Amino acid sequence: MTSYGLVIDQERCIGCHSCAITCKQENNVPMGQYWNRVLTEGGDHIDTPSGTYPEDGDGGNLEMKNQPTTCQHCANAPCVKVCPVNATYTRDDGIVEIDYEKCIGCRYCMAACPYNARVFNWDEPEHVPEEGTGDVPARPQGVVEKCTFCSHRLEEGLDPACVVNCPADARIFGDLDDDDSTVSEYIAEYETHQLLDEKGTDPKTYYIRGEMTPGRPWKGKHMEGEDGETSTADVEAATERVPHVPAGPEGGDD
Amino acid sequence: MTDFDPTRRDVLKTSGVAALGLGGGTGLLSTLETVDTGDGGDAVASFVGEDRVVKSACSPNCRGKCPLDVYIRDGQVKKVEQQVPAATEFKRGCTLGMSHLQRVYSDDRLKYPLKRASWSPDDPQPGARGEDAEFERISWEDAFDLVAEKIQQTKSEYGKESILWHSGSGDGGTTGYGRLTQLVGGIRDSFVFGIDTNVGQGFNRITGEGGVFMPPTNTADDWVNAETIIIWGSDIFASQFQMDAEWVLDAKRNGAKLVVVDPVYTNTAEKADLWLPIRPGKDTHLALAMMHYVLENEVYDAEFLRSRTNAPALVRTDDGTLLDPSRISEDPPEGSVVVMNEETGEPEVVQAETGGPFALFGEWTVDGTTVTTGLAQLREQAADYPPEEVADVAGLTQDDIETAAEWLATRGSGGIMPSYGVGRYLYGHVFGQAYATLLALTGDYGRHGNIHAQHPSYNGSYLHTGDWGSPEGAEGTEYHGYRKLLGMLEDGDPVQPRVMYGMNSNMLGNQFPDRDRWLAAMENLDMIVWADMYHTPTTQQADIILPAAHWFETEDILTTYTHPNISYREQAHEPLWEAKDDYYIMAGLAERLGHGDKFPDDKHDVLDRFVQNDDRLTWEQLREQGTVATDETPTVAYTDAFGTESGRITVYDDDAPAEEGPGLPDDGVSLEVPKPLEARTADDWEGADEYPLVFMQKHSKWRIHSQWANVPWLREINTEPQLDIHPQDAQQRGIDDGDYVRVHNDRGSVVVQAKYNEGIRPGLVNTDQGWWAEDFVDGHYQDPISAETAKVGRTFAFYDCRVEVERADEQYQSNQYTEDNPRGAEGTAGGD
Repeated sequence: MTSYGLVIDQERCIGCHSCAITCKQENNVPMGQYWNRVLTEGGDHIDTPSGTYPEDGDGGNLEMKNQPTTCQHCANAPCVKVCPVNATYTRDDGIVEIDYEKCIGCRYCMAACPYNARVFNWDEPEHVPEEGTGDVPARPQGVVEKCTFCSHRLEEGLDPACVVNCPADARIFGDLDDDDSTVSEYIAEYETHQLLDEKGTDPKTYYIRGEMTPGRPWKGKHMEGEDGETSTADVEAATERVPHVPAGPEGGDD
Repeated sequence: MTDFDPTRRDVLKTSGVAALGLGGGTGLLSTLETVDTGDGGDAVASFVGEDRVVKSACSPNCRGKCPLDVYIRDGQVKKVEQQVPAATEFKRGCTLGMSHLQRVYSDDRLKYPLKRASWSPDDPQPGARGEDAEFERISWEDAFDLVAEKIQQTKSEYGKESILWHSGSGDGGTTGYGRLTQLVGGIRDSFVFGIDTNVGQGFNRITGEGGVFMPPTNTADDWVNAETIIIWGSDIFASQFQMDAEWVLDAKRNGAKLVVVDPVYTNTAEKADLWLPIRPGKDTHLALAMMHYVLENEVYDAEFLRSRTNAPALVRTDDGTLLDPSRISEDPPEGSVVVMNEETGEPEVVQAETGGPFALFGEWTVDGTTVTTGLAQLREQAADYPPEEVADVAGLTQDDIETAAEWLATRGSGGIMPSYGVGRYLYGHVFGQAYATLLALTGDYGRHGNIHAQHPSYNGSYLHTGDWGSPEGAEGTEYHGYRKLLGMLEDGDPVQPRVMYGMNSNMLGNQFPDRDRWLAAMENLDMIVWADMYHTPTTQQADIILPAAHWFETEDILTTYTHPNISYREQAHEPLWEAKDDYYIMAGLAERLGHGDKFPDDKHDVLDRFVQNDDRLTWEQLREQGTVATDETPTVAYTDAFGTESGRITVYDDDAPAEEGPGLPDDGVSLEVPKPLEARTADDWEGADEYPLVFMQKHSKWRIHSQWANVPWLREINTEPQLDIHPQDAQQRGIDDGDYVRVHNDRGSVVVQAKYNEGIRPGLVNTDQGWWAEDFVDGHYQDPISAETAKVGRTFAFYDCRVEVERADEQYQSNQYTEDNPRGAEGTAGGD
């Protein structure tokens, strides 16, 4: 059985918003809407910390973390439960998908989702440029839309756009049901948490904090398992320290 | 797979002639009408696999030149992704590179050549330039003729020095600019000196590497070997390192200690093991305090100092010069220094890369002259900067200063990554000298894990362009640094330009301080010609505007020193409207200036010249793979003798220049060793009471200089210029979060929206650089900044600026973007 999941390493995330913008582009998301947002855990404004500035260099406690947030593709999705017309459903592979033709725009799903993951097209969606962007057609006015884990790319063996285009290699996508997948390995090895897990939604998006992972270990755009990808072990080897070797006649260790 | 014809333009139709409607026009943009294909696009669930993918690369002044994949469908770019290059570990890209699509199809794009309505070659009316100037469309024929004729006329009347060629850093492709300017002759302006030449100038003076920008350093893949990385005055994860974040992150994961020195708690500081919230302008103080620690605790690398620096060189106590080797040796080799051999007790002449039992400290009499060592001189200077005192000066704790020094000196290989920002003070080059000296003490040159710059230096990846840039029959150009331009334009000193051609630059909208002076000075020009992709605040001041193609619309081969791939850029589609690749603009002018034979009709032939000239490159590989990986750059830098006269790092530079300028004694301050010189950031600066706040204009993640300024996706999140201000500073001034404020000094002012930021040091305020004039409620961030430069520094000092801030008049207290705001831009992204 396949169960797609996403791991986001917040120690690697630099808050650059590439994932948010790339998603808009790939999925032809209208102006004024976001499927993927990078929230600042800290101050009231983006990229500002909470806490107080150190006085004379001392005693401050400023803190900030970046939290890219999109549909969590919950295993126990509240949105699926409340949709009156079964427009929102969970696929066999775990992706929570919307059938736009069935959606009647009642927005019960948006009320049910605790992650604010969904957006609604109140007006005719507008795109810049007008013809649209990316590889999927636009959704019409009057329907709800959200992250699909780029299911249209998965079908072609490609990782989601946000995962491929993260410059910090902070996003890893894969099969949670496969113990050998990178996502499963990282969840087992590193300190992870799920957002609002007390609500029982069982999200399939895991956030890593504390110790940094090696990140997404392969450079290609393909999904893991699709085409001779690099395993974590290879990444460890590639980023292994070269023991210090004096390059010149002198210049020893300090 | 459908074969799409990239030259087909019928799908891209303009929405009417864009004659006078320039400037403004944000909000919901529609520049293109679609052809009704009538194929029921909605029936298709996905277009993956149907796109034609074109290999391309970005080329702004982040210097990243990231290889990109550009996806085209129906003749139109649909998306941009990071490309996996030949050297795969350099797959990279950033938020900006991936939003190009909205730059290609933008209402701000220049569509046709334009002429200022009030300008004619015989009656230029320079006073009629300005925000209200109107333009009319002209043909390319007319544009080329007007420009070329005026150049010829001006040259013959006033000489070739009356022609000023200006290029910024907006694009790094092959344009033929260098070739044409050499052929026609005139004045070429240059970053040297200067914009952002301080840090490199100081560093390179004592290491002898030449150049004035970031110094050479180990290759990026080696950085994982660093045990300590000090990111100094740089928000690299925002301003540049989005593209390459993994190198530093992996180093940290592998155990490197990350120290960040920055007055602001940034996205970069968030990753630090140790954050030093330094007061602006105190960087050299901190470096000296760290040197003090290293010397006092004797954790310097004695072997390195003896063999690769002039630390043991004997220095005369009477006049501070190095003891002349001919005093003790008959025919001393050139560049050698005299040292005191502790075993023999005798002075000795030694060359570069030679170690031995040489004294690092002491005082002796040699040939009747009292001498000490270079290192003793440095130690004497550092003695005045103990950590416990510098802590007070720099706003840090003694403990933190000592920890940073301890880590760098004792954990193993390490490095320092400064930004250009830390040099944006009048005397910022001293910091360059200081950190180079500090790294010499810790022996951090020539080993795995050493870092000296915030980006690598793959020099081996340059294209072999042969004699393309130095054609036969060239009249030749004279170079003058940017800092000299005002003197030239205002007073004809040393020459009076009368015609100016500009490209790759938004100088009047961006990094040229004291903007009003520039605008006034340019009235002395009879013709200003500007080529750009977009209508900018600078093109608004021009007489002839030439529409340049977007990069994706050109063919090119790109190189950079920040990664070892040479990238091919295949043309995605023909330039929209009447825009032209800058190359064809240069060629069009060349033809009318008598040099048409020097510019092949097809730019491809120029690129072919380079490929044929370079046995690393084949067209096959460039087209199919998109990139060619080069490997000439050695992994470890500084393994051989340094480029100084002695081949040694001059921790004591007896040939040092004397800096002069505001806040310094009249006869200057000579810089044998680093001395913390300050102008407006000095604690006793005379204007401090009136203008207490330091004003920075940091480079943000939302644009590269003033490029990407109008990309709707980015503007949805980053909606308007703001002022980062600490709540304490704001409240003292009765300013609430979100109030519009006037940032001012006696030079100028700007009105922006205040943004409370707990992470910015009280006493410092910031407005991100790169916003266009039209984005400001009033004024411009360049207005309060002085254009003066120091004698040695010679570079614009954007952060050497003090201001006061107050709540702006009631008329400004509303968000001017409310009506034009794309729907939903409030509260949809970030910060909630």
